[in-house]
Amino acid sequence: MGIPYTWQEGLVVLAFTCILLLIVILISVYKKLEIGKEFTYALIKGGGQLFIIALFLTILFQMQYWYILIWALFVTMILAAGHTSAKRATHMPQAYQVTTPAILSGATLSLIVLAISRAMPLEPQFIVPLAGMAFGNSMAICSVSMERLIREVSLNKSSIETMLSLGASSKQSLEPFSRYSIRASLIPTIDHLKTLGVIFIPGAMAGLLIAGTDPLVAAEYQIIVFLMIVGGGIITALITTTLSRKKLFTSNEQIQEWLYEL
Amino acid sequence: MDILHINNIKKTLQKTTILTDLSLTVKKAEILTLVGPSGSGKTTLLRCINRLIDPDQGTIHYHENDIKNIPVVSLRKEIVLVPQETYMLPGTVYDNIAYGQNLQGYKDEAVIKQSLTDAGLDRSFLTKDAMKLSGGEKKRVSLARALAINPKILLLDEPTNGIDPKVLVTVEKNIIDFARKRNLTILWVTHNIDQATRVSDRIANLKEGTITEVQRAQEFQWGSAY
Ligand SMILES: Nc1ncnc2c1ncn2[C@@H]1O[C@H](COP(=O)(O)OP(=O)(O)O)[C@@H](O)[C@H]1O
Ligand SMILES: [Mg+2]
Repeated sequence: MGIPYTWQEGLVVLAFTCILLLIVILISVYKKLEIGKEFTYALIKGGGQLFIIALFLTILFQMQYWYILIWALFVTMILAAGHTSAKRATHMPQAYQVTTPAILSGATLSLIVLAISRAMPLEPQFIVPLAGMAFGNSMAICSVSMERLIREVSLNKSSIETMLSLGASSKQSLEPFSRYSIRASLIPTIDHLKTLGVIFIPGAMAGLLIAGTDPLVAAEYQIIVFLMIVGGGIITALITTTLSRKKLFTSNEQIQEWLYEL
Repeated sequence: MDILHINNIKKTLQKTTILTDLSLTVKKAEILTLVGPSGSGKTTLLRCINRLIDPDQGTIHYHENDIKNIPVVSLRKEIVLVPQETYMLPGTVYDNIAYGQNLQGYKDEAVIKQSLTDAGLDRSFLTKDAMKLSGGEKKRVSLARALAINPKILLLDEPTNGIDPKVLVTVEKNIIDFARKRNLTILWVTHNIDQATRVSDRIANLKEGTITEVQRAQEFQWGSAY
């Protein structure tokens, strides 16, 4: 079962899809969308990374001591995710100090629950893709909540200052904006949840179906995975807004200088 | 008796010097107006006093204490800023006025109602949506909101800006009245010279980031101001 061709034959398929891609790029040039350059860069970077990980997995799946090497993968994942998310935090100094622990805690929590509940057998074939999903989802949530929080604070400085001036702590004055930011970051996940199976067949289920798993088992499994990922995402968003406070305010309940310079 | 000592402060924002060698002493229970052209640093000075920002150099003493040694939240309960830009918190006028007390975990209805009256609003306002008030009414709510936490010093940043000229003098009178009644010290920023003359005990002139003159209102030399 699974995909009915070898990797060499797959290259031909890839070439075909590249033709489609070329058309897309031509349209974007014609329409002056100005995404051609960034898109090509993203494709080469993303594609390259996928091939490297494929090689890595090939080795990993055959190794006897895979559980040692998998830590290297985890470390790479968390560092890359923290770094990528931090870039969304426009101008916040050392934003990775917020994003890295936030993503790490959310993703780790969901993976631990998956492992304990035996939804994730401790084999690299399960751990690697599920860890990818958990880290990827936490990263997406972290990026949105970070970006939103900074924007809210930056746009609402005078309302925050009003609250501070009436004796509010930074925590109290930030509270409504943390709430908006957490909510905004969870909207895509919640929308996914609502449309599960209708317009959106999620990664894990798609994978299982392609591999020939019974659709009922695949669906059930997907829900388990999804719930864990939502849980991890909420933790990530909470930690993101909590840790951000120290970057947004001084210890003297003042808005940090960099926010005035945006 | 002096309540506030500002000693040689300097503040630079984004590489521009806003305040420089600024010194000023405020006496307890006086109304001191701070006049000066737009951009001279009046707002920046008030923000230093309630520590929304900190000066780069110099000190500010409240009574005998350097404000840096007073926990910020306690400082802001005693030295309350009514900002130039009026921002209403979501909710009713009552919610706005009770906000400061709520933060401190108590509710004193008598003080809330008295603050509303002192700011020149009647009871009917309490249940109104604060966001929907007129500019002048919002200004009054922001005054009432500050009064409700029983401050010792009020920092008023152009409190009558945007208020209908017909009620301007009434609002000024409200402020003077509650200041006297509550034994409040007021540092009042205005760029309206007539207003300064009407309301002040003393007038300080701020020019290019420094205080150039402080005089009793009657003796103030308007020629040298601005
Ligand atoms: N956060 C800031 N960053 C840079 N410049 C500022 C900032 N806030 C105020 N300024 C500048 O400082 C000067 C004084 O501003 P301000 O204290 O608001 O003056 P005033 O209240 O007397 O009109 C102005 O030139 C203003 O543009
Ligand atoms: Mg001003």
